[in-house]
Amino acid sequence: MGNKPLLKGRKIMNQLTIRCFKEDIILELPKILITAILCIAAFFTFTLSGSEADAADKENCLMCHKYKQIGRIDEQGRKRSYYVNENIYGNTTHRNVPCRDCHSYIDKLPHDEVTEEVNCANECHVKPPFAKENFSHKNIIKVYNESVHGVHKDDSEELKQAKPYCKYCHLNPIYTRVDEKRIAFEQTLSRCLNCHERKGVTQAYKHITHRLRNKTSRSPQEVVQLCSKNCHANMPLMESLKVSPESLESVETYNESIHGKAVALGSQKAADCISCHASSSIHDVYKKDHKLSTVNDANRINTCNQCHENVNERFVQIDVHSGLGREEKPLLYFVNLGLQVVFYASVLGLVGLMLLETKGRKKDGILWQIKKGTSWRGRSKRK
Amino acid sequence: MATTTENIAITPEATEPERDYTYVEDVGNIPRDIYKYVKSDPLGDLPRYSLHIVAQHFLTFLTFLILASTGLTLHFADLWWAPYVMSLFGGPDLARLIHRFAAALMVLASVYHVITLIAGTVQKIMKKQFNISRTQIPILKDIQDITHDIRYFLGKEPYRPKMNKFMYKQKLHYFAIIWGTFVLITAGTTLLYPEMMATIWPNPQFAQDLARLMHADEAIMAITVIVFWHWSNVHLVPGRFPLQWSFITGKITREHQLEEHFMEYLHNLEEIPEEKEYMKKLLKDKGFETK
Repeated sequence: MGNKPLLKGRKIMNQLTIRCFKEDIILELPKILITAILCIAAFFTFTLSGSEADAADKENCLMCHKYKQIGRIDEQGRKRSYYVNENIYGNTTHRNVPCRDCHSYIDKLPHDEVTEEVNCANECHVKPPFAKENFSHKNIIKVYNESVHGVHKDDSEELKQAKPYCKYCHLNPIYTRVDEKRIAFEQTLSRCLNCHERKGVTQAYKHITHRLRNKTSRSPQEVVQLCSKNCHANMPLMESLKVSPESLESVETYNESIHGKAVALGSQKAADCISCHASSSIHDVYKKDHKLSTVNDANRINTCNQCHENVNERFVQIDVHSGLGREEKPLLYFVNLGLQVVFYASVLGLVGLMLLETKGRKKDGILWQIKKGTSWRGRSKRK
Repeated sequence: MATTTENIAITPEATEPERDYTYVEDVGNIPRDIYKYVKSDPLGDLPRYSLHIVAQHFLTFLTFLILASTGLTLHFADLWWAPYVMSLFGGPDLARLIHRFAAALMVLASVYHVITLIAGTVQKIMKKQFNISRTQIPILKDIQDITHDIRYFLGKEPYRPKMNKFMYKQKLHYFAIIWGTFVLITAGTTLLYPEMMATIWPNPQFAQDLARLMHADEAIMAITVIVFWHWSNVHLVPGRFPLQWSFITGKITREHQLEEHFMEYLHNLEEIPEEKEYMKKLLKDKGFETK
């Protein structure tokens, strides 16, 4: 039972790492001229593929981008791929969004070198059901920009550079259907199908339900991985940004806490970063002393209450990211030191006594003890 | 040439120490090294543990293994073997339930032990059979026994000390278990019910940190002591290999009783007439003079 989420979590983590890496390359777009994209389109074959990705690709970008070899070697000598896999893309969140809704800077074909990033605050030409406006991520971006991760006026230049943005964490995730007691996929969907057509509503339903299970659609393992890898676990970066000592060792202390250990072993219930540091709007991460912060003294009871029962004033005083530093917790540090001394003294003392006994009773001999222990045979063999 | 003169100087009396006899009425003089001549049943000859104690040992044994394997895996979550062991228990979400169930069973076994202990002691006091030297309570003789035994191991004493039903090692281990169980239950309760315990402890933050520290530390200590100390004492020490059956039968072999619990054997002689006959016959057969 537990094995599955564990392995699944690992698999996702691996994928994530690889994807993070690719994103990084794209982020560091070189300033020098980009050579023309190699379109290896020898024949304009009109292959009629039935893939759903076609629906969003009215302008036929895939005419070139469907070729696996499409890519180039950039100025740093790295291989860059511009291949878009229809089958994978057709199952992602953005499958119905036309390419140019995000890549809005493209205005002719073949297009010029790409120097701009996609802007997630763009309005797409997709209308959500029962809505008149075009869909946009504006609301969430507004929340995000106010959070600690958003770029603020008084930030140092270094900090501004280091701050993450949408694509840092969101990698056009693949729809995963939620199927469990609370949300039985087939059963619930069959009710939708009374009125709606299968094709559209299945996708819409997946889109909604994969966020219903937890605060995020991501597993705790993914969340921890996202927050720590490349950012909060990156000590040189964190030091250069002059974060607080608490924050500096936050990944380490989390990994040593019961929450962290359980998550590392594949728990789906234990708290991850988002569980405590953000409300249901997920992007509202603030510093501890900000009054909107979920870990602010005033809000901590509500935050802990998400999982713990009977949370009280005294319970929230407990340190969640608990380090054993000599400066921050001198008493605990020396208690720990004392326990270590007691541990080694007693174990070594007992083992020493045992070795002395073994030596002292050597007259019986090691071989004797194996061959002639009284537990084997009835008569004493010590004569 | 100095060595030869020394060799000559050694008298036969010095190499063969004088036998240490203990006189018992109706039996005769029992030499200290009589355990080399007795016949022992591997399954045990003389009573040592009641059925309650045997049951308690089994409960502790079982719960200890479960608690250690689930708890240690979580504690050492970053080691390479941890995910494999954890998946055996069905992942951390299930393993913690298993850990709590085993913990409850262990607490139950501890309570059972305390009840047995109190009831047994009261019973013995009522019957006026209570004898402090036959209990786990540490007495001055234990310290004398330790020094005597260490001197024996160093070759300075001819025989091991005449020890009580529970020798110094067993008393040490017993009190280590009592202390360990107390710490583990207290710290474990603090970890299991942090909301409730936070209202009880004077400084919840420190108490929780201390509980995290103590629970793990005490558990690792218990495991290390069990592996290096308990196992070697009950499995590897000469005469005990590969295992003693006492933990099932509740009985001790005659040889073991005479060697390590001589004083208790004297009590056995008083209480068991057959044992008295056996010893009398043995002394006669082996030709130990009855003075």
